[in-house]
Amino acid sequence: MFKKILVANRGEIARRIMSTCREMGIATVAVYSDADSRAAHVLSADEAVLIGGPEPSASYLNMDAIIDAARQTGSDAIHPGYGFLSENADFARRCEQESITFIGPPSQVIQSLGDKITARTIMEKGGVPIAPGMTRPCRDLDELATEAEKIGYPILIKASAGGGGKGIRVVRQPPDLAEAFASAVREAESAFGDGAVYLEKYFETVRHVEIQILADRFGHVVHLLERDCSIQRRHQKIIEESPSTALTPSLRTLMGESAIAAARAAGYVNAGTVEFLLTPDLSFYFLEVNARLQVEHPVTEMITGLDLVRHQIDIAAGRKLELKQEDIAGQGHAIECRIYAEDPENDFFPSPGTLEYIREPSGPGIRNDCGVYSGVDVPVYYDPIISKLIVHDQTRDQAIERMVKALKDYVILGVKTPIPFMIDVLESEAFKGGEIFTHFIRTHFPDWKPGEKNRDLALIAWAMNELTEKPRTHQNTGANPIPEPWETLGSWRLA
Amino acid sequence: MDYHLKINEEPVTVSVKKTDDQTTRLTIGDRVYDVAGSRLDRHHLHLRVNGKGVHVFVGPNGSGKHIVIQGGHHLVDDLDHPGLSGRSRKKATGIPDTVTPPMPSVVAAVLVAPGDTVSKGQGVVVVSAMKMETTLVAPYDGTVTGVTVAVGDKVNPGDVLVDIGREAGMDGAVE
Repeated sequence: MFKKILVANRGEIARRIMSTCREMGIATVAVYSDADSRAAHVLSADEAVLIGGPEPSASYLNMDAIIDAARQTGSDAIHPGYGFLSENADFARRCEQESITFIGPPSQVIQSLGDKITARTIMEKGGVPIAPGMTRPCRDLDELATEAEKIGYPILIKASAGGGGKGIRVVRQPPDLAEAFASAVREAESAFGDGAVYLEKYFETVRHVEIQILADRFGHVVHLLERDCSIQRRHQKIIEESPSTALTPSLRTLMGESAIAAARAAGYVNAGTVEFLLTPDLSFYFLEVNARLQVEHPVTEMITGLDLVRHQIDIAAGRKLELKQEDIAGQGHAIECRIYAEDPENDFFPSPGTLEYIREPSGPGIRNDCGVYSGVDVPVYYDPIISKLIVHDQTRDQAIERMVKALKDYVILGVKTPIPFMIDVLESEAFKGGEIFTHFIRTHFPDWKPGEKNRDLALIAWAMNELTEKPRTHQNTGANPIPEPWETLGSWRLA
Repeated sequence: MDYHLKINEEPVTVSVKKTDDQTTRLTIGDRVYDVAGSRLDRHHLHLRVNGKGVHVFVGPNGSGKHIVIQGGHHLVDDLDHPGLSGRSRKKATGIPDTVTPPMPSVVAAVLVAPGDTVSKGQGVVVVSAMKMETTLVAPYDGTVTGVTVAVGDKVNPGDVLVDIGREAGMDGAVE
């Protein structure tokens, strides 16, 4: 078993991984950039190494610096978390060369699955149903236009090196293709360093259902049921849940078997997720494999009672996976809300700054994977994730009530968050009814504005805060207070 | 005493009177509230308002206060001590009145050139931050008089990226 693991990531996921390491008695090493010297994940680790400047390319994407940090600290394994280098085949290969265990699939598998087009081809050969579309990359607009006609509008432009919702554009009509193409290529270049794109048929009404898989080095693969990630904004997941309201037991079995087939076709080892699109007629199509631990993995942990990071570490250390498919059953219902520093009233623009105050919700069935503390800065350089709030309860209705209560108890001051928006979404008839598709937010909450409840209470709160505040000599507004007219008038007298 | 406050752009007067050691009476319009409060920490108060308990949280927000109650957010300003706010305010439509990025970003594309006529809401510059692209739009109808940036430039809130001369006679509001 590993003696020391370096976590090549930051924020909530770095803390969460280190938490399991501590349970297993494994020493932890954090890496950080100049912008993160007081970050929560740095303070959670046994050792911490500064690896570079705030830009990701200088630090969290800096393979040399991270490998150096591992060598310097004598780490025998690296956990890459999600995003950053987690699906970088070159990095996995470097680790293999340096005899540092990369906690994830072999570099070759990451390579083939990382190219979304190669992945589609592997799946096609493996008998996994794939979404209608292209199976080769394209950098030429005319070629793209021809293919789009063949597939039939509406179509989806996707980055072949992509993931995380970046480099995706929906095109409903031919005249919109050119601009969408240019924009997708730019975003892909910037996010992944590769502007190649491909096309898929776009289904207006579709669910995004993914299956968690675990595979050991000895060819044993199991699936850990599904997560429904259909509530998205601009192709980014914001609310996830399990079980999916759309799956019957037989569909679950079929999709599970398909996911296992996908894992075998790719030679998969360790934890991964096979993503599917589910159409209203309950046909499912392979979308992609995420060859890493996913953001929403806690949803699966809550319904199965398993620690996925622990399994990742065990598998990477060469242990056999003891779990049998027949032993895996989901219990109850889990929902996750992603809490980002974003302004829901301003098109969800990132809201970086100092997080003045945070008070986390707690109670039975409530879990908050948090990456910040009161007083820390949310830097502009990275995805502004604050925490993931997950609840678990006996039924879906109860889980919704528990999540709403948890959101109402969750206080964050200093940066904006989508908490009020999430509350409205979860309390909506549409969400409670379970008719969830990827256009849910666009359809039911296109121009969300907060409600006007508790207005008097807010005024009372302001006044009581003022009355009970310790007296200060100056208003701390950071600017000169505007003087009252009679302070500046000097002495005068009525004639 | 009276507090002159502003909530949701609406001015409101809150009259406050201490009725005994524990209780304060607050009057807002025709509504009366008897409140007992205790401060739990710098940001957290527990209030009993007409007998009903509620936890409230108060944080700074520029010159005003950001108040969180049961997941709902409210911005309350003190009209008697407004403080200075030099930042350009958003109009009701949500479009800022200059072409400026909302946060430090990099220019990804420039969609117009000096001399182009633009209409309100038309995209003029695309900026990229936190790996997402955002299109900044013209705040009013007019003609582009200058483009101060090029693709790849790092820009900050407050920087004016595209100068637009307002079309005469349109949108007569004074800045």
